[in-house]
Amino acid sequence: MAYIEFKNVEKYFGSNHVLKGIHMEIEKGQFVTLLGPSGCGKSTLLRCLAGLETIDGGEIYLDGEEITHKEPKDRNIGMVFQHYSLFPNMTVEENIAFGLKLKKMDNAEIKRRVADAIRMVELEGKEKQHPVNLSGGQQQRVALARSIVMEPKVLLLDEPLSAIDAKLRKSLQASIKQITKKLGLTAVFVTHDQDEAMVMSDVIHLFHDGQIEQSGDPVSVYTKPVSSFAAGFIGNYNLLKPEEFELVTGRKREDNREVALRPETFSISHQPIMNEDEYHFEGIVESNSPRGNVLRYTVNINGIPIHIDALFRSRVLFEDGSKVYVSVAEKNCIAL
Amino acid sequence: MTTKKKTGAGIVITAVVIYLMIPLVFTFLYSLFREWMDILPSSFTLRAYGEIFTDMVFWLSVGRTLIISVVPIGICMTIVLLAMYVIVVYHPEWDKYMKILCTMPYSIQGVILPICVLALYADAPEPFSNRIFMLTSTYCIVVLPYIYQGVRNNLNGMNVKGMLEAAQMLGAGKFYSFFHIIVPNIMNGIVISSMLAMAIVFGDFVVINMLAGNYFPTAQMYVYEIMKKSSQKTCAIIMVLFAVTLLISMFVFLRGADDKKEEKNG
Amino acid sequence: MRNKAYLLAVIPFVMLAGMFEILPVLATIIKSFLPEGGGVGLTLEHYISIFTKPLYVSAVKNSLLISAASAAIGLVVAFAAGKAACERGGRVKKVFMSILNMVSNFSGVPLAFSFIILFGNAGVITILGQKLGIKLLAEFPLYTTWGLMLTYIYFQIPLATLLLIPAFDSIRKEWREAVSIMGGTDRTFWRKVGIPVLLPSLLGTFSTLFANAISAYATAYALLMNNYSILPIRIAEQFKGDIVQRPEFGSALAVILILIMVFSMTVTQHVAKMTGGTAS
Repeated sequence: MAYIEFKNVEKYFGSNHVLKGIHMEIEKGQFVTLLGPSGCGKSTLLRCLAGLETIDGGEIYLDGEEITHKEPKDRNIGMVFQHYSLFPNMTVEENIAFGLKLKKMDNAEIKRRVADAIRMVELEGKEKQHPVNLSGGQQQRVALARSIVMEPKVLLLDEPLSAIDAKLRKSLQASIKQITKKLGLTAVFVTHDQDEAMVMSDVIHLFHDGQIEQSGDPVSVYTKPVSSFAAGFIGNYNLLKPEEFELVTGRKREDNREVALRPETFSISHQPIMNEDEYHFEGIVESNSPRGNVLRYTVNINGIPIHIDALFRSRVLFEDGSKVYVSVAEKNCIAL
Repeated sequence: MTTKKKTGAGIVITAVVIYLMIPLVFTFLYSLFREWMDILPSSFTLRAYGEIFTDMVFWLSVGRTLIISVVPIGICMTIVLLAMYVIVVYHPEWDKYMKILCTMPYSIQGVILPICVLALYADAPEPFSNRIFMLTSTYCIVVLPYIYQGVRNNLNGMNVKGMLEAAQMLGAGKFYSFFHIIVPNIMNGIVISSMLAMAIVFGDFVVINMLAGNYFPTAQMYVYEIMKKSSQKTCAIIMVLFAVTLLISMFVFLRGADDKKEEKNG
Repeated sequence: MRNKAYLLAVIPFVMLAGMFEILPVLATIIKSFLPEGGGVGLTLEHYISIFTKPLYVSAVKNSLLISAASAAIGLVVAFAAGKAACERGGRVKKVFMSILNMVSNFSGVPLAFSFIILFGNAGVITILGQKLGIKLLAEFPLYTTWGLMLTYIYFQIPLATLLLIPAFDSIRKEWREAVSIMGGTDRTFWRKVGIPVLLPSLLGTFSTLFANAISAYATAYALLMNNYSILPIRIAEQFKGDIVQRPEFGSALAVILILIMVFSMTVTQHVAKMTGGTAS
């Protein structure tokens, strides 16, 4: 049996069916991400695991024990919230010690554990501060410390970084990952940001409309989308209907399926390209936009706009309106 | 803004302030002089203050006023917080009913509520017909809107749901979370609305006069009795009571200002 | 989640509100339809006599008149004062608001007495008026409608101003600038923008003032005892005092007062909604 198991979990909000028979297994020590657009049910599933929502059907197991109907306080699960939810009347130290005090642990032990947690989240010197005087990133570090100090069976993170500005987010991402690995914590992380999911996770579960659309490690989820939703949500796939595919490549698809093409799998050149096992076609550059180290061209091929990424070395190589030759390997055309 | 306009505004404010201050100032002066038969008063004396401060009846009435303006507010606050616990944690949809019940006293303010209570319970068995019981309960209803508003506004200003959930995840029960996390965080609001309610009960005459004037003579009843005997003494008592009310509302004002300052820092 | 023990926590509130708010009001309404002296059956006789006996007709009339007039005058003064306070702003406004706060605590019996020593027969201002030969001050009719009106206006002004200042604060400077850029004068601004924006607050404040005055008892009682006919005084004397007590009749009077209060609140709320806002 897996460390955490969801069996056929159902959840309704009124007439809204938000979780449609979810099956999921999570192994001990894994960092698992629930990824998906807002309203897909990922946060609800997390809250069901926490016990903050009751479920309308199915069972949840944690560490070999059914917890479906347990109160949140009896589950020994830690949780970090999007809006920190620190207790404003308590100092950093008191916030972190709150749960331990409830356990009636002796004071010396509490002190030691709190100090450890504070060191781990790198907040030394802030012990006596109140949360209002801390930055968002620091507040979230306190929230993280407050959870890990309890040595929970699993750490839940509900979009913990989405209220934090971009620069701090990166360092907090690294901290979370590093701390969970160091402590061997099992973590379930909810986000709508695919880049974040790729960086953090051992396993990604992609959610869509109350169901799991695709599961796997980051590379497989990224390179092998199983549906047009997955391809549309992850990466920046060009999605072509069968007839569009025919217009672009001049080949008819026998299976009559949709095709997903990642922008970075194309080759683009001023000269015709001739490679084995590749589709070749030509088009007109419509526009370009730099995205960090990548330059994204939009190329019009027989009326279909296709996004093509090229490494951005020094300058724009293909001016708007110029004619280009494009090729893509057959194996990179993913049938959905 | 033109200076002309500013001057105009200044004149309006000055005029209103003068109109509002006249009764207060004259009452104060009146309490300090034995005679006022001419344009200016004569024979400065603190005798009136001396008399009331040595009058046991006065002190007893002040004591009663303090008791009756603290006890019902304590009871009402406890009851509202308990109900609020259920509404916040379990049934947010009930808040609209609670709001109706808590704002209704506005439309039965003044003389209406005490006579309704009196008519219903005057001939009822003990403890309902007990005047002190009636008085306490009626004051609870009188201050209900202020207590409710105070608690509600403060709850609205913070992330109650998040904090409750966080506390639960750390092993706290729902009841414990509400009374050990949420309530301490709205303490300032609780104190302010309690003091506001206290000032209201402190200045009440209609409820006490209708329900328990003879059984439980408060300071306001004392004023009313002395009024018939000595003007100077009445003015002195009025000033003393006004000073107490002022202290209470100054406290409210300062606490409120502190509150705002903290928010700004945050 | 079957455990409903938490519901115990609402019981005290339900009991308090039920027993000392809902039940007394309901009982009063029912009682107003019962015949005097404990007879059986329902009757409208109390309501009929309220609207036929001059004593009670005048009580209703006086109450409506004094409340409406004092609310209107209070509102006008508060409008000027609130506008002035927000135009001055800064320290002046702060001090002014503290004074208003302070004065709003001065009401009821102390207020009535204060007016007695000012305008009463041997009152300070009366004497002043006599010495200086100002007839209006020397012979101010304190123990009549005018005197009562003066005291009511006194307690309406601070309350009304404190209620209106936040509304004035919400008028943005840019609106005024926009009007003046388009060639409007200060007057145009107030007619076309200021007053319409303030209307919900003005109506809400009026309703609060009206309710405040029509239910006021202490000031009138201390000033005029039972010698002046307004609703609260007439209601109270049916339950307490020297004349024969008539609780059923008093209940009918109380129901009339409740209806007036509810009516004024609902009307202002409706009008405020129609003019696009909520009465505060």
